[in-house]
Amino acid sequence: MSTEVRDEDENAAELKIGEEFLKSKCLMNCEIARILDHKYDQLQQMSDDATNQISQVFEKSMQYVKRCSRYKNPDAVRQVREVLSRYKLAEFELCVLGNLCPETVEEAIAIVPSIKSKGRKLEDDAIEKMLHDLSLIKKFE
Amino acid sequence: MVFMEVEMPWNVIISPDKLDAKGLLLHKAIILRLMDDIANKKASKEHGYYAAVTTLNTLGEGKVRELSGDVLFPVTFSCITLKPAKGEILVGTVDKILKHGIFLKSGPMSSIFLSEKTMRDYKYVGGENPMFLNDKHAKLEKDTMVRFKVLGLKWLESEREFQILATLAGDFLGSI
Repeated sequence: MSTEVRDEDENAAELKIGEEFLKSKCLMNCEIARILDHKYDQLQQMSDDATNQISQVFEKSMQYVKRCSRYKNPDAVRQVREVLSRYKLAEFELCVLGNLCPETVEEAIAIVPSIKSKGRKLEDDAIEKMLHDLSLIKKFE
Repeated sequence: MVFMEVEMPWNVIISPDKLDAKGLLLHKAIILRLMDDIANKKASKEHGYYAAVTTLNTLGEGKVRELSGDVLFPVTFSCITLKPAKGEILVGTVDKILKHGIFLKSGPMSSIFLSEKTMRDYKYVGGENPMFLNDKHAKLEKDTMVRFKVLGLKWLESEREFQILATLAGDFLGSI
Protein backbone atom coordinates (compact mmCIF):
# COMPACT_ATOMS: atom_id res chain seq x y z
CA MET A 1 0.00 0.00 0.00
CA SER A 2 1.96 2.99 -1.21
CA THR A 3 -0.71 5.65 -1.20
CA GLU A 4 -2.10 6.93 2.01
CA VAL A 5 -5.47 5.51 2.99
CA ARG A 6 -8.07 8.22 3.06
CA ASP A 7 -10.41 8.34 6.01
CA GLU A 8 -13.48 7.29 4.05
CA ASP A 9 -11.73 4.28 2.54
CA GLU A 10 -10.36 2.99 5.80
CA ASN A 11 -11.57 -0.48 6.68
CA ALA A 12 -9.64 -2.68 9.05
CA ALA A 13 -11.70 -5.69 7.96
CA GLU A 14 -10.07 -5.51 4.53
CA LEU A 15 -6.72 -4.49 5.96
CA LYS A 16 -7.23 -1.04 4.43
CA ILE A 17 -5.65 0.81 7.30
CA GLY A 18 -3.27 3.72 7.58
CA GLU A 19 0.24 3.16 6.34
CA GLU A 20 1.57 3.53 9.87
CA PHE A 21 -0.11 0.25 10.81
CA LEU A 22 1.80 -1.53 8.08
CA LYS A 23 5.13 0.25 8.60
CA SER A 24 5.34 0.29 12.38
CA LYS A 25 5.66 -2.57 14.77
CA CYS A 26 2.28 -3.61 16.16
CA LEU A 27 2.22 -5.11 19.62
CA MET A 28 -0.21 -7.45 21.37
CA ASN A 29 -1.87 -6.42 24.63
CA CYS A 30 0.16 -8.96 26.58
CA GLU A 31 3.39 -7.49 25.16
CA ILE A 32 2.24 -3.95 25.97
CA ALA A 33 1.43 -5.00 29.54
CA ARG A 34 5.05 -6.05 30.00
CA ILE A 35 6.48 -2.91 28.42
CA LEU A 36 4.29 -0.58 30.48
CA ASP A 37 5.06 -2.48 33.67
CA HIS A 38 8.76 -2.11 33.02
CA LYS A 39 8.30 1.57 32.17
CA TYR A 40 6.40 2.13 35.40
CA ASP A 41 9.24 0.64 37.48
CA GLN A 42 11.78 2.72 35.57
CA LEU A 43 9.83 5.88 36.24
CA GLN A 44 9.70 5.24 39.93
CA GLN A 45 13.46 4.97 40.06
CA MET A 46 13.98 8.01 37.91
CA SER A 47 11.75 10.56 39.49
CA ASP A 48 10.78 11.45 43.05
CA ASP A 49 7.24 12.25 42.06
CA ALA A 50 6.69 9.33 39.72
CA THR A 51 2.93 9.53 40.07
CA ASN A 52 3.01 12.98 38.48
CA GLN A 53 4.86 11.59 35.49
CA ILE A 54 2.21 8.97 34.77
CA SER A 55 -0.17 10.31 32.16
CA GLN A 56 -3.83 9.45 32.07
CA VAL A 57 -3.41 7.68 28.76
CA PHE A 58 -0.64 5.57 30.29
CA GLU A 59 -2.74 4.66 33.31
CA LYS A 60 -5.85 3.78 31.33
CA SER A 61 -3.86 1.80 28.78
CA MET A 62 -2.17 -0.14 31.55
CA GLN A 63 -5.48 -0.97 33.25
CA TYR A 64 -6.90 -2.06 29.93
CA VAL A 65 -4.07 -4.34 28.82
CA LYS A 66 -3.89 -5.94 32.26
CA ARG A 67 -7.56 -6.72 32.15
CA CYS A 68 -7.53 -7.91 28.56
CA SER A 69 -4.31 -9.90 28.26
CA ARG A 70 -4.99 -13.61 27.95
CA TYR A 71 -1.35 -14.54 28.40
CA LYS A 72 0.53 -13.37 31.47
CA ASN A 73 3.69 -15.41 31.59
CA PRO A 74 6.56 -13.89 29.49
CA ASP A 75 7.41 -17.23 27.86
CA ALA A 76 3.82 -17.73 26.80
CA VAL A 77 3.74 -14.23 25.32
CA ARG A 78 6.83 -15.02 23.26
CA GLN A 79 5.39 -18.35 22.11
CA VAL A 80 2.14 -16.72 20.98
CA ARG A 81 4.03 -14.37 18.71
CA GLU A 82 6.15 -17.24 17.43
CA VAL A 83 3.13 -19.41 16.60
CA LEU A 84 1.27 -16.57 14.88
CA SER A 85 4.38 -15.54 12.91
CA ARG A 86 4.31 -18.84 11.05
CA TYR A 87 1.18 -17.89 9.14
CA LYS A 88 2.30 -14.94 6.98
CA LEU A 89 -0.06 -12.57 8.75
CA ALA A 90 0.19 -8.80 8.63
CA GLU A 91 1.38 -7.35 11.96
CA PHE A 92 -2.06 -5.88 12.53
CA GLU A 93 -3.82 -9.23 11.94
CA LEU A 94 -1.36 -11.03 14.17
CA CYS A 95 -2.12 -8.68 17.05
CA VAL A 96 -5.90 -8.80 16.66
CA LEU A 97 -5.78 -12.61 16.79
CA GLY A 98 -3.39 -12.59 19.75
CA ASN A 99 -5.58 -10.08 21.60
CA LEU A 100 -9.01 -11.52 21.00
CA CYS A 101 -8.08 -15.22 21.12
CA PRO A 102 -10.83 -16.65 18.90
CA GLU A 103 -11.86 -20.20 19.73
CA THR A 104 -13.21 -21.37 16.40
CA VAL A 105 -12.28 -20.92 12.74
CA GLU A 106 -15.54 -19.03 12.13
CA GLU A 107 -14.79 -16.65 14.97
CA ALA A 108 -11.24 -16.05 13.70
CA ILE A 109 -12.56 -15.17 10.24
CA ALA A 110 -15.28 -12.96 11.72
CA ILE A 111 -12.80 -10.85 13.69
CA VAL A 112 -10.08 -10.77 11.01
CA PRO A 113 -11.93 -11.14 7.67
CA SER A 114 -8.81 -10.13 5.74
CA ILE A 115 -7.18 -13.52 6.43
CA LYS A 116 -9.69 -14.94 3.94
CA SER A 117 -9.40 -12.18 1.37
CA LYS A 118 -8.47 -12.81 -2.24
CA GLY A 119 -4.92 -13.64 -3.15
CA ARG A 120 -3.78 -14.69 0.29
CA LYS A 121 -6.29 -17.26 1.28
CA LEU A 122 -5.40 -19.03 4.47
CA GLU A 123 -6.96 -22.51 4.46
CA ASP A 124 -9.39 -23.43 7.20
CA ASP A 125 -7.10 -26.28 8.22
CA ALA A 126 -4.24 -23.88 8.74
CA ILE A 127 -6.41 -21.59 10.86
CA GLU A 128 -7.59 -24.58 12.87
CA LYS A 129 -4.01 -25.63 13.51
CA MET A 130 -3.08 -22.09 14.55
CA LEU A 131 -5.95 -21.88 17.06
CA HIS A 132 -5.09 -25.30 18.42
CA ASP A 133 -1.46 -24.28 18.99
CA LEU A 134 -2.59 -21.11 20.75
CA SER A 135 -4.95 -23.01 23.03
CA LEU A 136 -2.09 -25.33 23.99
CA ILE A 137 0.01 -22.35 25.07
CA LYS A 138 -2.86 -21.15 27.21
CA LYS A 139 -3.35 -24.58 28.73
CA PHE A 140 0.29 -25.00 29.75
CA GLU A 141 0.90 -21.47 30.87
CA MET B 1 -7.32 -2.35 19.58
CA VAL B 2 -3.80 -2.65 18.45
CA PHE B 3 -0.94 -0.80 20.07
CA MET B 4 2.02 0.23 17.96
CA GLU B 5 5.54 1.39 18.55
CA VAL B 6 6.33 4.40 16.35
CA GLU B 7 9.41 6.56 16.03
CA MET B 8 8.90 10.31 15.84
CA PRO B 9 10.85 13.58 15.97
CA TRP B 10 10.40 16.25 18.62
CA ASN B 11 12.00 19.46 19.86
CA VAL B 12 12.66 19.50 23.57
CA ILE B 13 13.10 22.90 25.19
CA ILE B 14 15.21 23.10 28.33
CA SER B 15 15.42 26.24 30.43
CA PRO B 16 18.95 27.49 31.28
CA ASP B 17 18.73 26.58 34.97
CA LYS B 18 18.46 22.88 34.01
CA LEU B 19 21.66 23.03 31.98
CA ASP B 20 23.79 21.22 34.48
CA ALA B 21 27.50 20.76 33.89
CA LYS B 22 27.00 17.07 34.64
CA GLY B 23 25.84 15.54 31.39
CA LEU B 24 23.72 12.85 33.01
CA LEU B 25 21.43 15.31 34.72
CA LEU B 26 20.86 17.17 31.47
CA HIS B 27 20.02 13.89 29.78
CA LYS B 28 17.50 13.14 32.50
CA ALA B 29 16.02 16.63 32.24
CA ILE B 30 15.54 16.13 28.50
CA ILE B 31 13.78 12.79 28.98
CA LEU B 32 11.52 14.12 31.74
CA ARG B 33 10.61 17.17 29.67
CA LEU B 34 9.90 14.99 26.63
CA MET B 35 7.63 12.71 28.66
CA ASP B 36 5.84 15.71 30.04
CA ASP B 37 5.31 17.18 26.57
CA ILE B 38 3.94 13.90 25.24
CA ALA B 39 1.65 13.44 28.24
CA ASN B 40 0.24 16.93 27.63
CA LYS B 41 -0.18 16.28 23.93
CA LYS B 42 -2.28 13.21 24.90
CA ALA B 43 -3.21 12.25 21.33
CA SER B 44 -3.12 13.37 17.70
CA LYS B 45 -5.14 12.66 14.61
CA GLU B 46 -2.10 11.17 12.95
CA HIS B 47 -0.83 8.79 15.66
CA GLY B 48 -3.79 8.30 17.96
CA TYR B 49 -3.21 8.18 21.73
CA TYR B 50 0.31 8.38 23.17
CA ALA B 51 0.60 5.76 25.90
CA ALA B 52 4.29 5.91 26.79
CA VAL B 53 7.68 7.09 25.60
CA THR B 54 9.85 3.99 25.44
CA THR B 55 13.29 5.08 24.23
CA LEU B 56 15.18 8.22 23.29
CA ASN B 57 16.85 7.29 20.02
CA THR B 58 18.81 10.33 18.88
CA LEU B 59 19.75 13.55 20.59
CA GLY B 60 20.87 16.43 18.41
CA GLU B 61 22.98 19.42 19.30
CA GLY B 62 21.21 22.05 21.38
CA LYS B 63 20.50 25.48 19.90
CA VAL B 64 20.16 28.50 22.14
CA ARG B 65 17.01 30.53 21.57
CA GLU B 66 18.02 34.16 21.66
CA LEU B 67 15.10 35.76 23.44
CA SER B 68 14.57 33.35 26.32
CA GLY B 69 17.94 31.72 26.66
CA ASP B 70 16.23 28.32 26.50
CA VAL B 71 18.01 25.57 24.67
CA LEU B 72 16.22 23.56 22.04
CA PHE B 73 17.28 19.96 21.49
CA PRO B 74 16.03 18.11 18.40
CA VAL B 75 15.41 14.46 19.35
CA THR B 76 13.83 11.33 17.93
CA PHE B 77 12.16 8.86 20.22
CA SER B 78 10.00 5.75 20.20
CA CYS B 79 6.55 5.83 21.64
CA ILE B 80 3.74 3.32 22.27
CA THR B 81 0.65 4.60 20.49
CA LEU B 82 -2.89 3.43 20.07
CA LYS B 83 -4.99 4.47 17.12
CA PRO B 84 -8.51 3.19 16.51
CA ALA B 85 -9.39 2.25 12.91
CA LYS B 86 -12.70 1.97 11.13
CA GLY B 87 -13.83 -1.65 10.75
CA GLU B 88 -11.68 -2.80 13.63
CA ILE B 89 -13.01 -5.09 16.38
CA LEU B 90 -12.47 -3.71 19.88
CA VAL B 91 -13.29 -4.69 23.44
CA GLY B 92 -14.69 -2.15 25.87
CA THR B 93 -16.68 -1.88 29.08
CA VAL B 94 -20.12 -0.34 29.46
CA ASP B 95 -19.87 3.06 31.09
CA LYS B 96 -23.33 4.61 30.84
CA ILE B 97 -26.74 3.30 29.78
CA LEU B 98 -29.21 5.59 28.07
CA LYS B 99 -32.49 4.80 26.40
CA HIS B 100 -31.04 5.47 22.96
CA GLY B 101 -27.85 3.56 23.42
CA ILE B 102 -24.76 2.89 25.49
CA PHE B 103 -21.52 4.73 26.14
CA LEU B 104 -18.50 2.47 26.26
CA LYS B 105 -14.93 2.94 27.40
CA SER B 106 -11.92 1.12 26.05
CA GLY B 107 -8.48 1.93 27.45
CA PRO B 108 -7.80 5.63 26.82
CA MET B 109 -10.85 5.92 24.53
CA SER B 110 -13.70 7.29 26.59
CA SER B 111 -16.16 8.49 24.01
CA ILE B 112 -17.57 5.41 22.28
CA PHE B 113 -21.27 5.40 21.49
CA LEU B 114 -23.22 2.26 20.65
CA SER B 115 -26.60 3.33 19.36
CA GLU B 116 -29.72 1.30 20.05
CA LYS B 117 -30.13 1.17 16.25
CA THR B 118 -26.87 -0.72 15.73
CA MET B 119 -27.36 -3.10 18.66
CA ARG B 120 -29.23 -5.77 16.67
CA ASP B 121 -31.70 -7.64 18.92
CA TYR B 122 -30.76 -5.94 22.20
CA LYS B 123 -33.67 -4.00 23.73
CA TYR B 124 -33.67 -1.34 26.43
CA VAL B 125 -35.02 -2.36 29.85
CA GLY B 126 -35.49 0.58 32.20
CA GLY B 127 -35.67 0.66 35.98
CA GLU B 128 -33.29 1.28 38.81
CA ASN B 129 -30.56 -0.66 37.07
CA PRO B 130 -31.15 0.01 33.37
CA MET B 131 -29.76 -2.46 30.84
CA PHE B 132 -30.07 -3.84 27.34
CA LEU B 133 -31.25 -7.43 26.95
CA ASN B 134 -31.44 -9.66 23.89
CA ASP B 135 -33.52 -12.73 22.99
CA LYS B 136 -30.84 -15.05 24.34
CA HIS B 137 -30.86 -13.18 27.67
CA ALA B 138 -27.43 -11.72 27.11
CA LYS B 139 -27.17 -8.57 29.22
CA LEU B 140 -25.45 -5.27 28.65
CA GLU B 141 -25.30 -3.37 31.93
CA LYS B 142 -22.76 -1.16 33.68
CA ASP B 143 -19.26 -2.69 33.54
CA THR B 144 -20.21 -5.50 31.14
CA MET B 145 -17.39 -6.21 28.71
CA VAL B 146 -18.48 -5.85 25.11
CA ARG B 147 -16.85 -6.82 21.85
CA PHE B 148 -17.86 -4.32 19.17
CA LYS B 149 -16.89 -3.08 15.74
CA VAL B 150 -15.88 0.49 14.90
CA LEU B 151 -18.49 1.87 12.52
CA GLY B 152 -16.98 5.29 12.21
CA LEU B 153 -14.74 7.71 14.02
CA LYS B 154 -14.00 11.38 14.22
CA TRP B 155 -11.01 13.26 15.61
CA LEU B 156 -12.02 16.09 17.96
CA GLU B 157 -9.22 18.62 17.93
CA SER B 158 -10.52 20.66 20.89
CA GLU B 159 -10.78 17.66 23.21
CA ARG B 160 -7.81 15.91 21.65
CA GLU B 161 -9.60 12.62 21.41
CA PHE B 162 -11.49 10.35 19.05
CA GLN B 163 -15.24 10.08 19.06
CA ILE B 164 -16.17 6.57 18.05
CA LEU B 165 -19.41 5.11 16.78
CA ALA B 166 -19.79 1.39 17.53
CA THR B 167 -21.94 -1.39 16.11
CA LEU B 168 -22.86 -4.93 17.13
CA ALA B 169 -23.87 -5.86 13.57
CA GLY B 170 -21.67 -8.85 12.80
CA ASP B 171 -20.94 -12.32 14.10
CA PHE B 172 -19.28 -12.89 17.47
CA LEU B 173 -20.00 -9.37 18.70
CA GLY B 174 -21.78 -8.48 21.93
CA SER B 175 -21.22 -9.11 25.64
CA ILE B 176 -18.30 -11.37 26.57
